[in-house]
Amino acid sequence: MNAPVDESYSQRLARRFSRDALALTGFWLIILAFVLAALAPFLANNHAIVRVADGQISFPVLRSLEPIEWRFLINVPLAGLIYALRRPLFRNPQRGGLIVAVVVIVVQIALAFVQPYNDVTNDRTRPATFKLMPLIAWSPLESSPDALVGPSWNHLCGTDSTGRDVAARILHGARTSLAIGFVSQVIALGVGVTFGALAGYYRRWVDMVICRFIEVMECFPSLLLILVIIGLSDSQNNMIVIMAVIGLTGWTGTARLVRGEFLRLGGQSFPQAAQALGAGDLRVILRHLLPNSLGPILVTATFGVASAILLESSLSFLGFGMQAPTPSWGDLISEGRRFIDFAWWLVFFPGVVMLVTIMSYNFVGEGLRDAVDPRLQVK
Amino acid sequence: MSAPLLRVENLGIEFGPADAPVKAVDGVSFAMAAGETLAVVGESGSGKSVTALALTRLLATPPARYVSGAIQFQGREVMTMPAPELRALRGKQIAYIFQEPSSSLNPVFTIGYQIREAIEQHRPEVRDVRGEIVRALDLVGIRDAATRLGDYPHQLSGGMQQRVMIAMALACQPNLLVADEPTTALDVTIQKQIMDLLRELKSKTNMAILLITHNFGLVSDFADRVVVMFRGKIVESGPTAEVLRHPQHPYTRALIECVPKLGQKQRRLKVIDYAGIN
Repeated sequence: MNAPVDESYSQRLARRFSRDALALTGFWLIILAFVLAALAPFLANNHAIVRVADGQISFPVLRSLEPIEWRFLINVPLAGLIYALRRPLFRNPQRGGLIVAVVVIVVQIALAFVQPYNDVTNDRTRPATFKLMPLIAWSPLESSPDALVGPSWNHLCGTDSTGRDVAARILHGARTSLAIGFVSQVIALGVGVTFGALAGYYRRWVDMVICRFIEVMECFPSLLLILVIIGLSDSQNNMIVIMAVIGLTGWTGTARLVRGEFLRLGGQSFPQAAQALGAGDLRVILRHLLPNSLGPILVTATFGVASAILLESSLSFLGFGMQAPTPSWGDLISEGRRFIDFAWWLVFFPGVVMLVTIMSYNFVGEGLRDAVDPRLQVK
Repeated sequence: MSAPLLRVENLGIEFGPADAPVKAVDGVSFAMAAGETLAVVGESGSGKSVTALALTRLLATPPARYVSGAIQFQGREVMTMPAPELRALRGKQIAYIFQEPSSSLNPVFTIGYQIREAIEQHRPEVRDVRGEIVRALDLVGIRDAATRLGDYPHQLSGGMQQRVMIAMALACQPNLLVADEPTTALDVTIQKQIMDLLRELKSKTNMAILLITHNFGLVSDFADRVVVMFRGKIVESGPTAEVLRHPQHPYTRALIECVPKLGQKQRRLKVIDYAGIN
C-alpha cells in the first residue's frame, strides 16, 4: 500500500488522480468532447467524406474546410507528433531544434496559402457512383423542409423551427462552447497568476494595491458588467469579445489563490536559498514559486472552465451570446425555449450535452483537488 | 594577518516600526581572513542569523532596515553594490547553507537540476556540467552520485538533503561559505557527519567558513576564532581555545556551561540566568 518512493510530483499527481474513477471518466469525456468538436466537419456535414463520380475520386469535406480549421487540424497533431518524438529528435539538441524549426515554418507557410472555398454543393442529394457521407449528413446551417420534427434516423436529435438538424448544431456548437470555456480560462489564468504572483512576492504596497483592485473587481456584478461591455462593443467577431470579457472578469479567485500560495511558500527557505545562490526575482518567481503552486492553480482553472461554459450559455440565453447563425449550446437552448411545449428535443439534447461536459470538468477539478491534497491519504 | 577577505564594520539592523525599532544587530564589527574559520555563537534572537544574511543583503527590506555599517568583501562594498553585481556575488563568492535542509531545496525539481542551475548561472565556462554535478555530489560523500542526480528532495533523508545543499554551495567554488546552523535540524549522529564533512572540506579547499551556531560544543574543535553575540552586540571575541578556556563575559560563561558534558553527573541542566548578565 506504500506509495512508490521514486516518483516525481507530476507522477504522483497522475497516480492519485487515476485512482479516482469519476475524475478519470470526466477526463476522458472532456478529451472525447474536444476530439468530436475538432472533427465536427467530418461528423456532421452535407459534404461527402469520399465521393466517387464519373470515375474520379474526390474528398469534398476537405475542400469545405476553412483556413482556420486547416490550421487547427494540422497544427495540433503536429505538436503532438513533435512531443511524442521529442526523445529521439532532441538526442542532438541542435539538430533536433533545426528539424523542428524547419518543419514548423514550412507547414505554416503552406497553411498560409490555404484559401477559403465556399462549397455550397450538397452531396446528400447529388448523385454519385459511391459516396461516404458523415454520420450526420446535415450541415449545421442547412434547413431541411421538415421543421420541428422529433428524433428519427434521419435527424438523430430532431430539427429546429427552421428545419436545421439539432445533432449537427450541437456538434458544431461544441466548438464555440469548449473554445470559450478554455480560452477564457487561459486569459483569466494569465491575468490572475501575474497579479497574484506580484502581490505574493513583493508584498507591501504592491500587495496592498493589487488586493484593493481585486476587491473592487469583485464588487461588480460580473454578469451585468459583461452584458454592458458586449452591448457596447461593435466588434464583428464577438466570440473573441466574449472570451476576453469572461476571462478579464474571472481572474480574481486565481489571483488570490496564487498570492496565498506565494505567501505560504515564502515561509519556507528554498526561495531564500535560491536568492542566496544568486537567483533574481523573476527566476525565483518562475522557477521556484510558481511550479510549487501549480497544483491548486490547475484545480481552480478546471472549475473555471466549467463556470465559463455556463456563463457563455447564460449570455446566449439572454441574447448577448454568439451572433446567429453560429451555434453555441446556450444559443440552442435559448432558441428551443419558445417551442418547449411540444419540441422537447430542442432543449433536452443540448442540455444533456452541456450537463455532461460541465459535470466532467467538475469531476476532474475535484479529482485534481484530492490528488493535490497531501493530507488525503490515497485510497 | 593578511588583508581581510571580509570586513564588517559597525553593522546595524533594525526591525519593526521606525519610532520603536527593535535593534537586531547593533554595531557589530568583525573581520575574516581568507581560509579562516570563524564561529558566531549566540542564543536564538541574538542577531547572528541576521548578520549572516546581511552579508549579501539577503534580508528583505522591509521588514528589516540597514541603519548603519559597511560590509567589505574582497575590498568591495556590499552595502552600495548594484543588484546585478550583488547576484553575481551571491553563490559565486559567498554561498549559504541554511538550517532546514528539507525546506531549502525546491521540492519539484531533482537535485541534479538544482545543482545544475547554480553551476550554469555562475560558471558558464564549464562544459561538462553533468560531470561537475557528479563531482560536487562526490565531494560531499554521496555515493553513486551519477544515479542520484534524478532524485527529488523528498526521496532523501535530512542528512542527505543537507549534503546536497552543501554540494550546491560548493559547486560554485565560493571564497566564503556561510553555514547558518547547518546541523540544528538534524539528529546528533548526522550532526557529527555533517561537521566532519565541513571539516574535511575546509582542509581540501582554501575556503573561509562562517559557522553560525548556538552550540559551543560544535565550536571547540572546528573554528579558529569565536565571536559571541548577545542581544545584537558582540560581547566577546578571540581565538577559540582562549575564549573557551577563559571566557571573559558572563554570558559566554553561561553559554559554555549550558552544554551538557559527557561523564559528568548533573542533577539539573544549567540555564542562563539573565539577571546576572549586563
